[in-house]
Amino acid sequence: MKQELARVLSNEEIMEGGHLLWLEAPGITGSGTEPGQYLMLRCGTSYDPFLRRPMSIHRVMGERLAVVFKVLGKGTTILAACKAGDSIDMLGPLGHGFHIERGSLNLLLVAGGLGVAPLTFLADEALADGCRVTLLLGTPTASWRFPQRLLPEGASVQVVTEDGSEGTRGLVSDLAAELESDFDMVCACGPAAMYKAMVDSGISASRKVQVSLETNLACGVGACLGCTVQTRLGLKQVCSDGPVFDLADLLI
Amino acid sequence: MDLTTELVSGTRGLKLKNPVMNASGTFGYGTEYSSLIDIQELGAVVTKGTTIESRAGNPQPRLKETPAGMLNSIGLQNIGVEAVIAQKAPLWATWRVPVIVNIAGSQVEDYAVLASRLSVVDGVSGLEVNISCPNVKAGGVAFGASPRMAAEVTRGVVSSTTLPVIVKLSPNVSDIVEIAVAVREAGAHVLCLVNTLRGTAIDINSRRPFLGNGMGGLSGPAIRPVALAMVYQAAKMVDIPIIGCGGIATAADALEFIMAGASAVQVGAAQFVDPSSLLRIAEGIDEFMEREGVKYLSELVGVAL
Ligand SMILES: Cc1cc2nc3c(=O)[nH]c(=O)nc-3n(C[C@H](O)[C@H](O)[C@H](O)COP(=O)(O)OP(=O)(O)OC[C@H]3O[C@@H](n4cnc5c(N)ncnc54)[C@H](O)[C@@H]3O)c2cc1C
Ligand SMILES: Cc1cc2nc3c(=O)[nH]c(=O)nc-3n(C[C@H](O)[C@H](O)[C@H](O)COP(=O)(O)O)c2cc1C
Repeated sequence: MKQELARVLSNEEIMEGGHLLWLEAPGITGSGTEPGQYLMLRCGTSYDPFLRRPMSIHRVMGERLAVVFKVLGKGTTILAACKAGDSIDMLGPLGHGFHIERGSLNLLLVAGGLGVAPLTFLADEALADGCRVTLLLGTPTASWRFPQRLLPEGASVQVVTEDGSEGTRGLVSDLAAELESDFDMVCACGPAAMYKAMVDSGISASRKVQVSLETNLACGVGACLGCTVQTRLGLKQVCSDGPVFDLADLLI
Repeated sequence: MDLTTELVSGTRGLKLKNPVMNASGTFGYGTEYSSLIDIQELGAVVTKGTTIESRAGNPQPRLKETPAGMLNSIGLQNIGVEAVIAQKAPLWATWRVPVIVNIAGSQVEDYAVLASRLSVVDGVSGLEVNISCPNVKAGGVAFGASPRMAAEVTRGVVSSTTLPVIVKLSPNVSDIVEIAVAVREAGAHVLCLVNTLRGTAIDINSRRPFLGNGMGGLSGPAIRPVALAMVYQAAKMVDIPIIGCGGIATAADALEFIMAGASAVQVGAAQFVDPSSLLRIAEGIDEFMEREGVKYLSELVGVAL
């Protein structure tokens, strides 16, 4: 875990309200990063916004890493305005990511919206390890869909839109439930409602399903206890025990 | 420059190498930030609030950002005093930096029980008594809201331990000086001012309070002038050392508290924003003293009074 002033290499608007930021972060990449881990980014230098913003590690290439984010409020608006050459104060890598069990060769990745961010990193690593990767990309509508050119090469991708504007019409959780029996492991990242729908649509609790949770965070290191969730294994911190948990352990 | 700060003298005193420590509840048990900063360089480490039994805390959401600050409603989630002693204290005993355990109760007797239990534990160098908690027997009014209850808690703790006792006051009172005087009379060795200011936020979309618990405590730079005024008022009326806390983020902020009468400072929310701030503040105070030709920090304490 490092605190580092990372230099912005590029900032590209890749879709409506979505940005891809590449940064040079030798300290953070040098501490060893795993898919599903995240960074805490200071947005600007004033006290408004006050807290750092958590962003998943989207990709790592040598000493460079990328994040992908949606512009929602104060923090992400500031990040969206960053230019090449600017610096961003970051903490990372933080938390515990996805863990591919030995012998799991056939992975199903389920992305709700920009939940695709950490799953891209996971797909990169899994493909390099010789796994087969299927990525379900769920989005409300085609214009909010993560661009094809940025998806991991070699993954088989299926798009699901709520309005039917591209790919299968419906919810990505339904498709996941339909397909999961063909896979050794399922890794998902999206809103809590997506996980709830996965549980409701019968993704069996006994199977290896890992999901990345979101709560408001302040410290990112397990110190403030602001992100505590009740699980079947007791109280857990999303920021340091997670953000990735076994779906079977969560009370949803 | 000499930044040593003797809060309590004697063999079982409390002598800090510099006046900067973390605020309780923002630093876990000291180890959480240890890969980011050298915690041995702090004046002291203050633990998360500790109760007799473990506590699960409040429902989510527990955090809400506000302009230049944040609301929290953690609800004193903690592992309980026996787990702290078994799992955390053995490591503290190997540290150079003194560890102060923050204690909290829901009835007067709890504080004395915690104090006597911790009194004999290796690795514990002091107690900080959080009196902002609700007194269950008094219908949930905070201990810190009445001079009588605050004094009662203080007496219970002081008579149950030989450790230095810091009493941490709540700012949610009509007259902080009255409480400070009562706690001092009851035997507190040091005061800490202040805990969080009561606050809340409403989610206009759901039309409900944003925090799971309805209300929370405000901290961060937003509360600094309020906390500073309380230190300034209390320092005029009590003769024991004061630790200033509330919105401190820079060395200049810390120096304001010191000049207003604080002998040491604590940093809470600001170190979420910048974990390096604790050590930067100590360095900045040192640079200021060098520049101003001040040899001992004590020369600056209360100069603005
Ligand atoms: C471990 C972790 C990893 C994350 N990774 C990513 C990522 O890779 N890419 C990404 O775009 N986001 C990610 N997020 C969410 C991201 O941190 C928030 O979207 C961001 O903090 C919003 O900041 P803001 O200042 O722009 O919005 P704010 O001003 O804080 O909020 C603006 C509006 O957005 C809403 N909002 C805030 N946070 C969230 C949230 N988490 N989910 C939904 N609505 C929210 C608020 O309620 C408010 O209405 C992650 C969160 C966590 C906990
Ligand atoms: C997340 C969080 C948890 C806290 N927990 C405690 C606690 O357990 N006991 C306590 O006495 N104060 C607690 N506090 C209050 C702080 O120690 C401090 O008094 C307050 O935040 C004001 O300082 P600041 O503005 O520098 O944060 C907590 C504050 C925060 C932000």
